[in-house]
Amino acid sequence: MNNIEVSALARVEGEGGLYIGLENGKAVEIRLDIYEPPRFFEGFLQDRFLQEVPDITARICGICPVAYQMSSAFALENALDIKISPQARALRRLMYCGEYIESHALHIYMLQAPDLLGKESVFEVAAIAPDVVTNALRLKKIGNEILKTIGGRSVHPVNVCVGGFYQWPDAAPLKALLPDLEWGLQSALDCVKWAVTLPYPDLEVDYEFVALHHPDEYAVIEGEVWSSKGHKVSIADYETRYIEEHVKHSNALHGHTVDGNTYLVGPLARLNLNYEQLLPRAKQALVENKISLPIKNPYKSLIARAVELVQFYKEAIELVKAYKPEGPAHVELKLKAGEGTGATEAPRGLLYHRYKIDDNGMIQFAKITPPTAQNLPRIEADLFALAPQIVSMDEDKATRTAEHLVRAYDPCISCATHFLKLKVEEK
Amino acid sequence: MRIAIIGIGQSLRGDDAAGLTAVRQWQEKFPETASRPEVRVEASELPGLALINLIADFDVAILVDAVQSNAAPGTIHRIGEKDLSAFSSDAKSAHGWGVAETLTLSRQLNQKLPAIRIIGIEAAQMVMGAGMSEAIEEAIPLACEAIEQEIKSLL
Repeated sequence: MNNIEVSALARVEGEGGLYIGLENGKAVEIRLDIYEPPRFFEGFLQDRFLQEVPDITARICGICPVAYQMSSAFALENALDIKISPQARALRRLMYCGEYIESHALHIYMLQAPDLLGKESVFEVAAIAPDVVTNALRLKKIGNEILKTIGGRSVHPVNVCVGGFYQWPDAAPLKALLPDLEWGLQSALDCVKWAVTLPYPDLEVDYEFVALHHPDEYAVIEGEVWSSKGHKVSIADYETRYIEEHVKHSNALHGHTVDGNTYLVGPLARLNLNYEQLLPRAKQALVENKISLPIKNPYKSLIARAVELVQFYKEAIELVKAYKPEGPAHVELKLKAGEGTGATEAPRGLLYHRYKIDDNGMIQFAKITPPTAQNLPRIEADLFALAPQIVSMDEDKATRTAEHLVRAYDPCISCATHFLKLKVEEK
Repeated sequence: MRIAIIGIGQSLRGDDAAGLTAVRQWQEKFPETASRPEVRVEASELPGLALINLIADFDVAILVDAVQSNAAPGTIHRIGEKDLSAFSSDAKSAHGWGVAETLTLSRQLNQKLPAIRIIGIEAAQMVMGAGMSEAIEEAIPLACEAIEQEIKSLL
């Protein structure tokens, strides 16, 4: 078989290609080429006032803007030693529910399901199962509606600020979403039922799963960084164990542990590490559908996303019912020089931010570590693990199986492209 | 009759800003039409699948967007939904859900959609960065006229 080369990956966010070099029926080189141009966000955040940061970082991604707002807001609140009110914290979780819902519905049905059903695109899925796609669009829309109700618009919402929210959203439009949310919960339960029936390729990987962990809730916005190998570090100490480095073929950095090992962030890591903190309804869905954990097959991250759809629809219902804005929407900021870290669980995995600010609250240094950068070396390692299977397939099927693996990760290449240093070597 | 006028495109990608610019300038030039209660004006950089939600409640949607065919840069195309395939993008990423793909999917699912009219402005380049080509800048007033005529023919 010839080398496998996909010049532009379809159904992923951003621009990248895939290269698998073969010699005597063995994979000798695998590269996920990330040629999407670098974004330089960390550079142009410098000398900006801290309150501008959440709305600027939100622009990194159209699918997970809330994650970028949340990690930056928490990091800057830590730098100023302030704590947001319990109501603001609950509203941040609700907003995050909206993001998980729209992002997971998009990925499950539009991006990955076509692979599992042997179809080229969602158009072909719509031809054989129009109801599935109609429901998918509605599931996604409800997530966007949550964002719009809290943040004024369904993509790149505003309103999150350092200290809480600029203003409380009205309760009535949020409560009006309840019938849709109840429908969404039922639909999400059906989604889990359907997800376990799909034909996943065989691949078991002994991952080091890494995710935030919180003792009292399914960790999304705060917690400790846990690893399935038993390592536990605080968010402030994240960089003592997890580092990024530049590799030649990628405009996105590659994440490793300090021991040089790859690790996996995202829905599989969260579900495997935090299933005990799932809401009862989501736990029940695991039992009803005989899903046993840990799941170690990367293709089956679709199942984890479906379980999370149940979790976040259910949690959204509870949070909307309990929503009762009281007191100021944000705490007043007392500016001082300092440094702060923040990490939240974006739909695609752990998203870490660190900022240094001066006395006037101007950003002196910014570091953003997106989930896809952490997963890129892991995707390449998985492709090596997959190679013995695909070399015996015909070229078309081999290419599809490899592409499917990349898509199963739901990589967000646009988010991941950032350079810290550009080194030019002259020969 | 409820009419939605949607400017589509990326303001930081050369001539792809044409749709947004044309709708904005039309609003300034024809404030009376633009402020009528049955008319709703939206600027949407990359609506993707959400385009359906933007237009679902209207009788007619006028989409104003940059297009690339083989016409001279700045040519104003007044086309219908059927003609769209000639202009459809081949982008398949989640960020790249184009107008044609989104409308096709919606029709395929028998969703209720308004009548679609498209005003396309032929682009010369869609490179990174702000600023449109001269031919496109010159065509914007013509696009404004086309929007105004289209609405006038409906009201």
